[in-house]
Amino acid sequence: MNAITNLEGENKMKKLCFVLLLMISGLIVSGCQSDSGGGEGSSDGKVEFEFWAAPNPTQEAFWEDMAQQYMEEEDGVSINVTPMPESPSSEAGIQSAIAAGNAPAISENISRGFAAQLAASSAIVPFNEFEGYEKLIQERQMEETMSSWTFTDDQQFVLPVYSNPMLFAWRTDILAELGFDEAPRTYDEVLKAGEKLKEKYPEKFLWSRADLVKPTWHARWFDFFMLYNAASDGNNFVEDNKLVADNEAAVETFKFFSQMAEGDMLLTREATDPFESGDSIMMDIGPWTFSYWDEKFPEMVEGETYELTMPPVPSEEGTENPKTFADTKGLSIYASATKEQQQAAFDFVNWVFSKPENDLEWFEKTNLPPARDDLATNDAFTEFLEENSELKKYADNIPNAVPPIASEKTAEVQELIGTEGLNPVVKGEKDAEQAWEDVRNAIDGVLE
Amino acid sequence: MEKSTARLGWLFASPYLIYSLIFFLFPLLWATYLAFTNWNLISPDYEFVGISNFIEAFFSESVRAAFFVTYKFLGMFVPIAVVGALMLAMIIHTLPRFKGLFSVAFFLPYLASGVASAIVVNGVLSYNSPFNIWLRGTFGLDIDWLGSSILAPLIIALMMAWKFAGYYALLFVAGLESIPKDIYEAAEIDGAVGFKKFWYVTLPMLYPSFYTVTILAVGLMFGIFTEPYVLTGGGPDLATHTWQLEIYSQAFERLNAGYGTAIAVINSIVTFGSILVFRKILEKWGARHGWE
Repeated sequence: MNAITNLEGENKMKKLCFVLLLMISGLIVSGCQSDSGGGEGSSDGKVEFEFWAAPNPTQEAFWEDMAQQYMEEEDGVSINVTPMPESPSSEAGIQSAIAAGNAPAISENISRGFAAQLAASSAIVPFNEFEGYEKLIQERQMEETMSSWTFTDDQQFVLPVYSNPMLFAWRTDILAELGFDEAPRTYDEVLKAGEKLKEKYPEKFLWSRADLVKPTWHARWFDFFMLYNAASDGNNFVEDNKLVADNEAAVETFKFFSQMAEGDMLLTREATDPFESGDSIMMDIGPWTFSYWDEKFPEMVEGETYELTMPPVPSEEGTENPKTFADTKGLSIYASATKEQQQAAFDFVNWVFSKPENDLEWFEKTNLPPARDDLATNDAFTEFLEENSELKKYADNIPNAVPPIASEKTAEVQELIGTEGLNPVVKGEKDAEQAWEDVRNAIDGVLE
Repeated sequence: MEKSTARLGWLFASPYLIYSLIFFLFPLLWATYLAFTNWNLISPDYEFVGISNFIEAFFSESVRAAFFVTYKFLGMFVPIAVVGALMLAMIIHTLPRFKGLFSVAFFLPYLASGVASAIVVNGVLSYNSPFNIWLRGTFGLDIDWLGSSILAPLIIALMMAWKFAGYYALLFVAGLESIPKDIYEAAEIDGAVGFKKFWYVTLPMLYPSFYTVTILAVGLMFGIFTEPYVLTGGGPDLATHTWQLEIYSQAFERLNAGYGTAIAVINSIVTFGSILVFRKILEKWGARHGWE
């Protein structure tokens, strides 16, 4: 009897084992399945592809709307718009997806520096190899903008969607109290305003920016490069993997930071809304700030409390048409997608940018100026710019905005500008000449 | 029957074993292999570079900083978190009612997002926060909290202690609940009262909880990322630069995935070695109090 019970027990256990093993296998198989990358490819004669939008609700909404409209016109295409993963940055999300074979066919939010890294690894394909590219550039009126985006081998790996010429905002109400009718344009004028400010309000600062003493590489776009581009008239920094920076302009830039630091004009500690509260009177500013001000600081009114200017320059000569840094990102098509998907992705982009009204929709939804040379002159945008006068200055300066350096060593180069140059200069540990000498040597070592 | 029982044991353990195999062992082996290459995570081509990644890491200032900064965090966080958790556990343990409610309340910070709490701390410590304005106005104290290489790591350690103390307290509460009452009665007969009772009975009897909490806390220090990433970016002057920040920066910002993986391998060896040392110390202490 016992033997029979044991046998039955063993049979039951075998069955249980089998069921459990089956479940585990199922779990493993389903867990390990990965997307082929770029999307599903073709099914029912349709070309399907993934579009990764920037992880920003307004940008996602724009691309979803565009994809919907395009699919209504084009039966043979299916576009799945999803926000790109940020883990912890969108760049890291894209790298992980490429490594895992899950990259989309196309994504936005690609900076020029990151594109150089992707291009060096053949992870993205050049736009200029698609039929219709030249026509697209002409139709979207972006020849001048694209000229600064060209990579060293004359390839165009990114199609810029928007371009923010970074500006400085000045508290004109406080400047008026100090006896200034308009915002400073040259280094001397800035320093004079700073001195007056410290005389009248010792606890206030000219510029509040904690990143000035941090090595964070991407922070250099919004301090060093804004001023360097203005001082050097947009001279390239790195070309063909060589440092080609304008030495004089770089030293002038560091000297300017040094003078502001010596005069106790820089607040290098974290501060909450220092410009809005009047704790500082100058601020690097992008157009994304205005919707925040509308909501939290309605008292910030252009012409009353603040004024927007291009970055200050070393002397009066450069004040006419100074250059600045372009906070600009664009679209890239991934090499891992099939040729069919790549072409379909390009056709979609071509369709979106062939109509100025789509750029207008983008501008209205995101406040980010479309990367078009004619933004300030094209009738399609006139009404919107009249209603949003604070954006006019950005539109006017798109041709004066220099995109980030195109080098696969962007992160290292910009980190060295901080650690060897800007950070010690602001802390008073190095003079401008020594700092630039050290930056040069360190960057040469990295680019070798 | 014994054989089939063993088989059943393996079977029930198999989901975890298979999970570990796929998500821990295989990635570990793959990472070890990558540490000897110059792969950048996205390129289809890469080369075997021998031990050059490890040599580079050995001479790297930022890797050295990560090594020492972790022990600095450990020295600050472990005592604060363990003592804090023990105090919370004692409070909860002595509560006549609503023990569960208070346990949950103290556990809540553990569920808070690291990014969100770092942003809050950043706001509280910012130059123009009400707290700093009050300090300047009342005492003339102008403290650069996150710009000081002593205060910045201390603030991060305190933040993490706030987050984890409630969680560790639960483990201590479980330990306190399991101490038999008759041991206290026997100790009282022998004349142990007040602090003596705590020192000679409670503390040694809590050894299993101490062991778990300390090992968890030590292990945690080798994986800090979010708080320094948001609050200090590793600064000032690498004073809060952790292993994870270095790995992230190398692998994802500079695309040196092979080198980043080599640092990750070194990190895991250092973590393993450190936990081993702490285990030995704790086991010695336990053995002295009758825990074998």
